[in-house]
Amino acid sequence: MNHKSRTILALIVGTFLLSACQNIAPVTSGVGSNQIAPEQAFSEHLHIDNKQLASKLYISDIKSRTNNGLLEVNAILTSTYKKSLQLQYQFQWFDQDGFAIEVGKSPWKALELHGMQTATATGLAPSNKASTFSIYVREVPEKFFKF
Amino acid sequence: MNKIVLATSLCIAIAALGGCTNKSVVRYGDATAVETTDINFGSTDLQKVASQMTDSLLLSPVVGTLTANTRPIIFVESIKNKTSEHIDTESITDSISTKLLRSGKFRFVDMGRVAAVREQLEFQQSSGMVDASKAIAFGQQVGAQYMLYGNLASIVKSNKDKSDVYYKFTMRLMDLKSGLVEWADETEIRKTKEKEFVSW
Repeated sequence: MNHKSRTILALIVGTFLLSACQNIAPVTSGVGSNQIAPEQAFSEHLHIDNKQLASKLYISDIKSRTNNGLLEVNAILTSTYKKSLQLQYQFQWFDQDGFAIEVGKSPWKALELHGMQTATATGLAPSNKASTFSIYVREVPEKFFKF
Repeated sequence: MNKIVLATSLCIAIAALGGCTNKSVVRYGDATAVETTDINFGSTDLQKVASQMTDSLLLSPVVGTLTANTRPIIFVESIKNKTSEHIDTESITDSISTKLLRSGKFRFVDMGRVAAVREQLEFQQSSGMVDASKAIAFGQQVGAQYMLYGNLASIVKSNKDKSDVYYKFTMRLMDLKSGLVEWADETEIRKTKEKEFVSW
């Protein structure tokens, strides 16, 4: 091995090792909606915070109705990605004045969406005070470290 | 020159590996986030089970009829844990009964506090410390009309590369007068753990 080769090798090894053990914050942004009332068109309220996820997933429809006095919502999630997506989604509920209901008590629900699959995310308002809702979908952050 | 190159590489390696030391960091997290620390029954499973069972019960047409003009009184029997894990099933029933109560459609009697209530009423009646005209008398409480009960079962399978656990949670609502089961539902959870290749 000549001198030049050794220098290059040393640089490669150094760079390789410098990239080790980065503590990376998980990406927790996703796609979602602003507050939607049952009579409103959902498409005008969607927003994308994570273009990478939006290239693999989109909210194709949102339906809502009142069932037993409670607001029930179905959001159709469609994958345009060939591999499985590990997702979580959360609904937020708001009363007619726009105040959040049961803040912090609506759990993120896990959903595995297989390649090119369509699935329904379901939500039911915790009380009959809910008149509008929002949904947010993001990927499950799993890896906090990379080498 | 060779020694310099090797020494530089070693220094860089040591400096880089030095960044890999463990250090404990305490943070507040999102209690509602999906938790995948291990394969055992966790907070996400509890929240999923409680949420799905509550939603199913509240959306049931039978329950819609039952709650149309009145708020039925329910007592929650403990959930039977048929899994091989230690799971606090009271926590599941607590979550479900709290959600149902907050929905405004049901009322509950708490059988877990009967002894404490009896003690308090006995104190009011016989201690001589409470105004007799204002003391609450025995025999005025309202009995439950329905009983909510259920089972949590699991199937666990594993080999050297993969572990798989399947949970099935079943709940039923029984009319205590007629003995009829008015509502039943079940929810399933599958969790797998397998080795992944570390990628650079």
